[in-house]
Amino acid sequence: MATRIRRHQTLCTVVVLALLVGAAIATTFSAGQAADTPRRGGVLLAVIGADPPSLDPHQESTFANIELVAPLYSTLLQLDPYHYPKVIGDVATEWNIAPDGLTYTFKIRQGIRFHDGSALTAADVKATYDKIIFPPQGVRSVRKNAYTAVERVEAPDPGTVVFKLKFPSASLLDNLASPWNVIYPKKYLDKDPNYFKTNVVGSGPFKFKNYTRGSTFEGERNPDYFIKDRPYLDGYKFFISPETSVRAAAIRSGRAYIEFRNLPGAEVESIRKQLGDKIAVQETPMTGQWGIAVNNTVKPFNDVRVRKALTLGIDRYTMSKVLYPLTGLKFVGALMRPGSDWAMPEADLEKLPGFGRDMEKNRAEARRLLAEAGYPNGLKVVLKNRNVKLPYQDFAVFLIQDWRKIGVEVEHRPLETAAWFSDGQNTGNFELIVAPAVEFMDEPDQFLGHYASGSTQNWGRFSDPRVDDLFSRQARTLDPTERKRLINEMEKIVLENAYYMPGLWWSRNLVHWTKVKNYVAPPNHYTNQKLQDVWLSED
Amino acid sequence: MSIQFPLEQTAVAVREETRLSFGEEVLKFARTKPLGAGGALIILAMIFVAIFAKTLAPYDPYWGDYAAQFVRPGAEHWFGTDEFGRDILSRIMYGARIALFVGFVASFAGCTLGALLGVISAYAGGKVDLLLERLMDILLAFPLLILALAIASILGPAVHNVVIAIAIPIIPRAARVVRAAALSVKENPYVEAASSLGASWHRVILQHILPNVMAPYMIMLTAQLGSAILTEAALSYLGLGAAEPTPSWGLMLSGSASSYAEKAPWIALFPGIAISLGVFGFNLFGDSLRDILDPKLRRKG
Amino acid sequence: MATYLTKRVLLIVPTLLGVAAVVFVIMRVIPGDVALLILGGDSAGQIDKAQLAAMHRQLGLDQPMLQQFGTWLWGVLRFDFGTSLWTGRPVVEELIGRLPLSLELAVLATIVSVLLAIPFGVLAAARQDTWVDYLIRVISIGGLAIPSFWVGILIILLLVICFGWGPPLEYTAPWVNPWANFQQMVWPVVTVGYRYAAVTTRMTRSTLLEVMRDDYIRTAWAKGLAERTVVIRHALKNAMLPVITLVGTEFAFLIGGLVVTETVFTLNGVGRFVVDAVAHRDYPVVQALVFLIALTFVVVNLLIDLTYAWFDPRIRYR
Repeated sequence: MATRIRRHQTLCTVVVLALLVGAAIATTFSAGQAADTPRRGGVLLAVIGADPPSLDPHQESTFANIELVAPLYSTLLQLDPYHYPKVIGDVATEWNIAPDGLTYTFKIRQGIRFHDGSALTAADVKATYDKIIFPPQGVRSVRKNAYTAVERVEAPDPGTVVFKLKFPSASLLDNLASPWNVIYPKKYLDKDPNYFKTNVVGSGPFKFKNYTRGSTFEGERNPDYFIKDRPYLDGYKFFISPETSVRAAAIRSGRAYIEFRNLPGAEVESIRKQLGDKIAVQETPMTGQWGIAVNNTVKPFNDVRVRKALTLGIDRYTMSKVLYPLTGLKFVGALMRPGSDWAMPEADLEKLPGFGRDMEKNRAEARRLLAEAGYPNGLKVVLKNRNVKLPYQDFAVFLIQDWRKIGVEVEHRPLETAAWFSDGQNTGNFELIVAPAVEFMDEPDQFLGHYASGSTQNWGRFSDPRVDDLFSRQARTLDPTERKRLINEMEKIVLENAYYMPGLWWSRNLVHWTKVKNYVAPPNHYTNQKLQDVWLSED
Repeated sequence: MSIQFPLEQTAVAVREETRLSFGEEVLKFARTKPLGAGGALIILAMIFVAIFAKTLAPYDPYWGDYAAQFVRPGAEHWFGTDEFGRDILSRIMYGARIALFVGFVASFAGCTLGALLGVISAYAGGKVDLLLERLMDILLAFPLLILALAIASILGPAVHNVVIAIAIPIIPRAARVVRAAALSVKENPYVEAASSLGASWHRVILQHILPNVMAPYMIMLTAQLGSAILTEAALSYLGLGAAEPTPSWGLMLSGSASSYAEKAPWIALFPGIAISLGVFGFNLFGDSLRDILDPKLRRKG
Repeated sequence: MATYLTKRVLLIVPTLLGVAAVVFVIMRVIPGDVALLILGGDSAGQIDKAQLAAMHRQLGLDQPMLQQFGTWLWGVLRFDFGTSLWTGRPVVEELIGRLPLSLELAVLATIVSVLLAIPFGVLAAARQDTWVDYLIRVISIGGLAIPSFWVGILIILLLVICFGWGPPLEYTAPWVNPWANFQQMVWPVVTVGYRYAAVTTRMTRSTLLEVMRDDYIRTAWAKGLAERTVVIRHALKNAMLPVITLVGTEFAFLIGGLVVTETVFTLNGVGRFVVDAVAHRDYPVVQALVFLIALTFVVVNLLIDLTYAWFDPRIRYR
């Protein structure tokens, strides 16, 4: 009896030891692998600065909308998150463009299901784009003017979508990659085109879980996502928090792991100091610039000399040095982003008024022009602005001091967003007004549309037929080199006449804990929000 | 006999009191009400700095020295510089002007208009009284900050608009207090006798009613002054007050305060201290003033 | 008593109507078009006049003002405050979600302030003009003088810099998770409460002083009653009435404090909601909120006046 127990004991000990050894080996193995293979599970906690008015990206243009709902949907095309600005497919697997540039044919991936189980077919893509390009009465489509070249959309079979154009459009493919053009199921659109303002039925890597206005927004993993093995996360949760300092505190205390839009330099410094290498900061240039719109229809701003004097008086290079640590405004450039494919070469830029390096000369010239225009003793102007500190107010403070140096006294009038927008866009009730231009990619049609006659984004209300001509020509020029030439021509005319005064292009700081893996910050806060490749190395 | 003696004493005492000079009155105030005197000192200091800001301030409050952003307090800049390299001490000094301007004008305008309405309401009585009371009730039903917020939204951020936005909610509050005081005087048989004897209405008001509402009026004035400065700060914080680059204390606290507080705490510290000190001074003084003027609180005998 | 009650209740109606009218007009006088905001988002998007006009029609903004006012009033009588122009959801829904937090903040702040104010106020009055009195007065006036949003900011900063601690970002009701609720609410309650406490302390002190001068109190002294009995049993009871009045009138002051505090701590409450709604020109929300606040304020005042009248018959016959 005793011997048998002893043998059992030995056997048990051996088994236990073997298990322990095996476990140890297994742990070291997996620990070694953890650094490379994405870990499954965990909920991504993020902070965001605002609530969206509705959940339908077709009808909104605020980051508050797209950050929250992008993971719930798919689009026809998308920007490659790892190779900006390359366009790759999402729902579309391949496409070809007819030689005359008037027909675009897309093949749709098979087997995609919406969150309610129904299949995604070309009919849904067609219904979605019909809503975007030809919205029914009472439905708004904020970006429909980007698709004026499209005559109609067809779905000849469930796996093919065809776009027929009226004239060739150089930007159509890029515009089809817009993150805002999420695909909806046709059957809900047929019932109510505004259904998706308050409901979510998408085909994205995450399903809608819960939304408490002003507080939280949650999504959970979609187990039937059409890309196998994705997403890695179990879900995501946004906390809505309008105060920048509270968002920064949330990141510092670990209550949130990532802020997708931007944190000011001072906060980034403090976070880095406190958390060291637990924090990663991705600094990217931003597809947005802050400048001043001049009301070209009122005296004395209808006089090109006055406008030129004002733009000559701005020392953009010093502005960059001073404002960059405060606001992120950094890059000096023309109307297309410096550093992008369309940027104007520096040598050409420095010849334009306001971009020369010799400020002494610039200021003297500004004073001379003002005197010539009838203002030898200086000028009093009113600068309207948006009532947001970063970067609007700081931008104005710098401008005011610079303009003082050429004898221009500025009365600064910050307005609430509603009033600012109304005065700027709707009524044109201003002399000078701070007017940014921010888009989801470096797309010439979108950025340059601000300077065409009659455009609602042309707050300065100027009209120059040469500019209009160049604008419509570049929109149809498919050869990039020729297109760039036309674009730079157009910029030269706008800047030489100071119809609009660009300020600086923005740079943003995207801050996150290092445990958030595989998130690459694009040059704006609208794209790469699907979160399908993101994983957490620990909870 | 024993009754007369105290009366004579009292009479003599009264006469002696009225013979004290202004300087001696001040000293008496300082002795009996040290807190109030302290408050008065703070107020005087603020007024002095505001008036002589141009000579006292070492730098132009609007001028940013871009080579001197975020300088610590030291020999060059006693209170340091802000994110644009502007000297904070100079901005605080000029800020006193704005705080005092907003405080005095808003409080004075609101209290005076309110007092006027209160007196009219009390004296006229009847339908006029009823109508004015309703109007005041309506304005009073709005929380002060919300009303100020709405008005500031309409008018836009600027110092003079802030004054209006703060003064308007004060009017009904002052009206209510003054009306109550005027009413109690009106029912005084002495006053009724005077008016039944044929004294004109403006005589009754000037000679009888006004002196009696002076006390609550002055108390309200000082109370609202401190409150006005705070409301201006709150409005500026919410972005509805003075606009950059005006050196308003409240504006200096908004935005920059939290973002730069770790890197450069002096940016948020000094304006906050200035506001607190200013309001503190006005409240201390106002409190002691009330202790003196309010007959119910005076020590008897 | 019945006539007084009826008179007072009837007087509420024109006041409330007046409030509603004022809000209505103010909101529409403020420059800025809500339709533009909705269509434009936070960067200038392309909007054409037809879209704008359609949006105006959709939101009911093209009707004459009087008609809009009438429609709104009719809705209010049926507890329907309309739909938010910004989100398209019923205003009542938006409000109900945010009410618990603000209510909790207001109630807790009031409790904290009363718990602090009464003992300190009594102490200061009983020891008038001594160093105890001075100390309490200085502290309470100091508390009044410090801008509450500054205190809030400093608190958040200190906590994060020294302890790396931040408050929870979403609201959990106290019966669901008391610890999480405490963590989120303790600092806002302190920020709102200390000012309220300061005001109430001073009021307690001064009304107590007034009451203690009254003849019947002097009689009590003369009778030789102990100080504590006199102060607590007689004086305090009578001083409570004005203090209760103060708590009621300062309720409006509390609402203002809520607005700022909720903004600083980014709490999802009614106060912050009002500020946002004004910024968005969301007329139905602002109208509903201000109307409800005014209603509460008026009702609270009425209750206080009634309590006053109940205890002091002289007032009923005004």
